[in-house]
Amino acid sequence: MPAIPNARRPSAVETAVSLGVLALFAAVLAWMLVAQRHFNPAVTVAAAAAQSAGKTGTAPATAAPDLLASWPAGLRPMSAVETFTAATLSDKIDGKAELYLSAGFVAMRCQRVSLAANPTAWMEFFVYDMGAPANAFSVHSSQKRPGSADVALGDYAYRAGNVLCVVHGRYYLELVAADDQAATMMAASALAQAFVATTAVEDHADVSRDAALFPPEGLVAGSVTLLSADVFGFDQLKDVFVARYREGEGEVTLFVARRAAPAEASRLATALQSFFVTDCGGRELPPPAAPAGAVVIDSGGAFDGVFASGPFLAGVHQAPSREAAERWLVRLHQRLPPSPP
Amino acid sequence: MTPVHPPSPSPSAAPPPSRREFLRRGLQASAALAATGGLGAWLWNRHPPGDFNRSASAALLPDFSARDGGRGMSIVTGQDRPAMLRRGLEAMGGLGRFIRRGDGVLLKVNAAFATPAILGATSNPELVAELARLCLAAGAAFVVVTDNPINDPESCFNLCGLAPAVRAAGAKLTVPHAADFVPGTLPGGQLIRNWPVLSGPFHGVTKLVGIAPVKSHNRAGASMTMKNWYGLLGGRRNQFHQDINGIVVELAMMVKPTFVVLDGTTSMMTNGPTGGSLADLKATNTLVVSTDPVAADALGATLLDRTWRDLPYIGRAAERGLGTADFESLHPERVAV
Repeated sequence: MPAIPNARRPSAVETAVSLGVLALFAAVLAWMLVAQRHFNPAVTVAAAAAQSAGKTGTAPATAAPDLLASWPAGLRPMSAVETFTAATLSDKIDGKAELYLSAGFVAMRCQRVSLAANPTAWMEFFVYDMGAPANAFSVHSSQKRPGSADVALGDYAYRAGNVLCVVHGRYYLELVAADDQAATMMAASALAQAFVATTAVEDHADVSRDAALFPPEGLVAGSVTLLSADVFGFDQLKDVFVARYREGEGEVTLFVARRAAPAEASRLATALQSFFVTDCGGRELPPPAAPAGAVVIDSGGAFDGVFASGPFLAGVHQAPSREAAERWLVRLHQRLPPSPP
Repeated sequence: MTPVHPPSPSPSAAPPPSRREFLRRGLQASAALAATGGLGAWLWNRHPPGDFNRSASAALLPDFSARDGGRGMSIVTGQDRPAMLRRGLEAMGGLGRFIRRGDGVLLKVNAAFATPAILGATSNPELVAELARLCLAAGAAFVVVTDNPINDPESCFNLCGLAPAVRAAGAKLTVPHAADFVPGTLPGGQLIRNWPVLSGPFHGVTKLVGIAPVKSHNRAGASMTMKNWYGLLGGRRNQFHQDINGIVVELAMMVKPTFVVLDGTTSMMTNGPTGGSLADLKATNTLVVSTDPVAADALGATLLDRTWRDLPYIGRAAERGLGTADFESLHPERVAV
């Protein structure tokens, strides 16, 4: 730019003032940038709503490949893989997310697949990474449908009509088909087998040691279940095996929880007894003759019993009579390893 | 006499710019203005997340409830959903009691999952289509069907069969978009505060009907007509699962429907709300039409082999005067198909 004729040089004061004004502008700009990063929560919420509601028919952006590198013959994907974390799982399965989250959920991927010969025969293939085989068994067993048929697949598997559920190490697989036709379910089985064959796991689920703690007489087949949290509504009671037993015309539930030390089992037994009485309005009855230290609570016509034996917390839930509760307590106690004197 | 000298030019006074210089400076200033304006236009968000100048409570829904003192509930047993619906409405005095010529009707369905209709996790397409047809036949100006499935809404509406059924019935399906949500605060609410509520599809709507299946729910115990309003919320609504009874009660405070249809033809007894297996379903052969969602849900609890006392939100809603848990007090008419 050519010099302006007769222009004088600014004084030192003018230069300082000018620099001050520019510094003020810079400060205002910095403040605006910082302030923009701290939205009113309402804006954040609404923006999230806009983002989620604006999605129309597309899976979350993901670069993930298909659930299987190659599909079994006769199957083809009909959607992209969707991936969900603990923060987003409920977007997919709503209120059932809590079941998985309380059992150590890590991530879930899913994809819809159809039969190439019949696109109306489709299924959704869910792969839950539960972090550990015990966690996978927990969500598998706690959703097991009565009357389902066990299937020789993975560590544990069953089929109930149109659904096939499999535990493979830390993974829990669910294949939910649109129908229960033989061709569709054979395809579901092939899909699960392909996943198991191509997915290496470090450990497999095996609950035989804990299942063996339950007496075999009267056991409802396939009813051994691992509950991860809030067992019987008691928030301190976690990782408890339960099993159903025939009792007259109805059923009772036995439970066993292995704890790190006898003291912990004993403390938990006392806490559970207190929960049944205080929170559930139960009434403690005179202690039974056996097992030593056991208590029986009348919970409004149903009877609960609790005892600790070595590192085990054990008991009976919802027995129809006091006599039945005490009988099942003795049977269960006899199955547990003897505690050291 | 002191000689007068002509004023000498001030050291700071520059001679007027030449015409060329004036034009050059003018062009520079115009370019600077254009650049600034362009930058502002580039940064301008034409689609802000919400109209925050509006009163928060103004975003909440109008009261659509029927206050004619007519019968409050009908209970129909059978297996043919469309026929059960027609009989249920007749027992309530006919659909004309609720829908008048020119009404805009919104049917709030449960389309939360991309699962086939036979699994009972979503509102039954035949039932929804029949109600849409009946409303149009009663003179409704339009019928719009909506829900807000968080994940993959198009697939949810299509795979559960609602999209084709609704369109075949002559109704309009609205899949929510960003602009359909407006932050709202429920007066007296502790949870619904400045929260995005689905309001766009309600434009021109004068009657609201909820249609929900009977389902067990891992968190709430059961999902029926009151829990069905959950689909009117946007945002990261999963955080409400930490107080599921509280949010269901607040939804019942927020939404005052014209009537609700509770479909217990089959009920999801276990593994809800998603289910997944036909083994989760039980034929309970019951359909309820009610102007009182609390009463409808109290009856629905019995289909799940429970009582309303097993579902805390029903008792709390009744305590707030949102309806009655004693559904028999409504003297429901019982009919069979």
